[in-house]
Amino acid sequence: METSVPDRVPLLRAEQVVKHFPIRPGVSVKAVDGVSFEIFPGETVGLVGESGCGKSTLGRVITRLLPITSGNVFFEGVDLTKLGAEKMRQYRRQLQMIFQDPYSSLDPRMTVGDIIAEPLVNFGLLDRRGKDKRVQELLRIVGLNPYFNNRYPHEFSGGQRQRIGIARALALQPKLIVADEPISALDVSIQAQIINLMEDLQQQFQLTYLFIAHDLSVVRHISNRVIVMYLGKIVEVADSVEIYRNPRHPYTKALLSAIPIPDPEIQSKRRVVALKGEIPSPVNPPSGCRFHTRCPIAQVPTPCAEVEPPLEDKARDHLAACHFSEKVPAAV
Amino acid sequence: MAPVLQVKDLHTEFFTDAGVVHAVDGVSFDLQPGETLGIVGESGCGKSVTALSILRLIQKPGRIVSGQILFKGSDIVTMTGEEVREIRGKDIAMIFQDPLSSLNPVLRVGFQIEEAMAAHQDISGKDVLQRAIELLKRVRIPAPESRVKDYPHQFSGGMRQRAMIAMGLANSPSILIADEPTTALDVTVQAQILELLRDLNTELGTSIVLITHNMGVVAGLCSRVLVMYAGRVVEEGPVEQIFKDPQHPYTWSLLRSIPRLDSDRHERLVSIKGIPPDLIKPPAGCRFNPRCQFRIERCKHDDPHLMEVGPDQQAACWVTMRQALKSDGDQRA
Repeated sequence: METSVPDRVPLLRAEQVVKHFPIRPGVSVKAVDGVSFEIFPGETVGLVGESGCGKSTLGRVITRLLPITSGNVFFEGVDLTKLGAEKMRQYRRQLQMIFQDPYSSLDPRMTVGDIIAEPLVNFGLLDRRGKDKRVQELLRIVGLNPYFNNRYPHEFSGGQRQRIGIARALALQPKLIVADEPISALDVSIQAQIINLMEDLQQQFQLTYLFIAHDLSVVRHISNRVIVMYLGKIVEVADSVEIYRNPRHPYTKALLSAIPIPDPEIQSKRRVVALKGEIPSPVNPPSGCRFHTRCPIAQVPTPCAEVEPPLEDKARDHLAACHFSEKVPAAV
Repeated sequence: MAPVLQVKDLHTEFFTDAGVVHAVDGVSFDLQPGETLGIVGESGCGKSVTALSILRLIQKPGRIVSGQILFKGSDIVTMTGEEVREIRGKDIAMIFQDPLSSLNPVLRVGFQIEEAMAAHQDISGKDVLQRAIELLKRVRIPAPESRVKDYPHQFSGGMRQRAMIAMGLANSPSILIADEPTTALDVTVQAQILELLRDLNTELGTSIVLITHNMGVVAGLCSRVLVMYAGRVVEEGPVEQIFKDPQHPYTWSLLRSIPRLDSDRHERLVSIKGIPPDLIKPPAGCRFNPRCQFRIERCKHDDPHLMEVGPDQQAACWVTMRQALKSDGDQRA
């Protein structure tokens, strides 16, 4: 993998991104709590974690669909958090999103053509004839009949709707697409269609993806690099082959061990790493390492319950935030 | 051994304004005592309707049109409502995908487990409470003595599903039907619930029918599997056999359409073109034929039935993967 060309310029760089949702004075849900990462041009970065880890919030904060609490997000070197509304609107052309639910993310009263053309109209890019042509071209690109532009979303299946959502995201020829669980609402046989389509489009249009999902096997498949989140923090970042072979954080290890492999022979030999208890509340996350309350290798009280482990290099291009990362057993 | 449950040529249909939906169209299978049977397929394939039919929980406009469901020799299809209620929750229990909506939010968890027992057993007061605590302990809910007094909202998703399983076990049923029991849960919690089901199966000998869309879940828990497509069983057999040597193109494609956690090479996923058929007017011939990359002329008009394709393995296909891959190889050679 060519992950470490030293002076490659990141397309997007997030620095100490924090997103807290206040619930009453002095109390807040710490959904994202100091997260830094980079996305390089042309790569696919996968962002995984279980519900409530902050992965979707992070996706929405870096696209500024949600206001940031603190921290910076640089897109091609420009700090998006400092931009005014109109400047930001211009940047949205470069930075599009695909959503999980293909039912609620399309306006049921708009035709498919109008849905896909809306970004073009919004930026005043094309006249009516040019617009129709572009819509038909986009429909063809995502594998739909170009003459479906006058139909309404309810006439399409889930997979087809997700294709419409992708066509809309492509309309402005963005550089980065943030896809938030784009396949988890779809049937198994349809998921592969969408994954393959996203891979083809990436090749065709040199797209960069941030692929957010809870399913680590899907994320590994589509991504060059994988970021694992737990309770508002990044716990591990590594190449997608490396993260499976050699996880350096006990949470990643537990997550990997819990994912069933569709092979009864292999599956019967695997052991699930049991995590103690339940995921703690993000209102009042544990001290030190946030995972220490459930960690099978934690040494409490010190250092795990007292000192927050920094996200640091454990191997080449392999970051983990764990005091005892060398103790995480390798093979799953 | 005599099967504990036999489903014979079950047809369940829904009479809608748009037409008759043939949701389950001639499904047959046997469930042996202590067996873990997986029923896999995509949404709308009829797997849940099959499960609901077994407990006669099909609601209007749906109806079991024909077929037999033999539980210990007597036919559930022709039983009176009273007779079915006797079996339901006592001999055959069911747990559902969404534990939050299956639990009553205004009643304590313990009370709901006690209720399940009181429906079928003549025990009262202290014994019931004691038994409810035991059941919660059995499904590994920590501090069951205090948790038994909690309301469902005080439980996490995984604990709610455990509570549902406790309720299902309340009358020591011989069959537990689990309809997508882990679909709404995170993977680490899913792993715990599956482990619990596996232990209950070995410790109590309860037969389990697991309904799921997830092939990985089947691989981890089941000994036998039925693959359903468009209201029919398209393939059936021992789990090792089906995963190693699937003979129906649908099973074969399904297994190749999901990325595997343990694959190191980037292989393009096999995508099944098109979408599942409309069950009001299913396609002629094999129902999978419009989406099948291996179909031959015969598939378009001649409807295949389940045929022996391997040791204890059956598939409903005129081609079968053995033939398909062989002729593929011939062409390449």
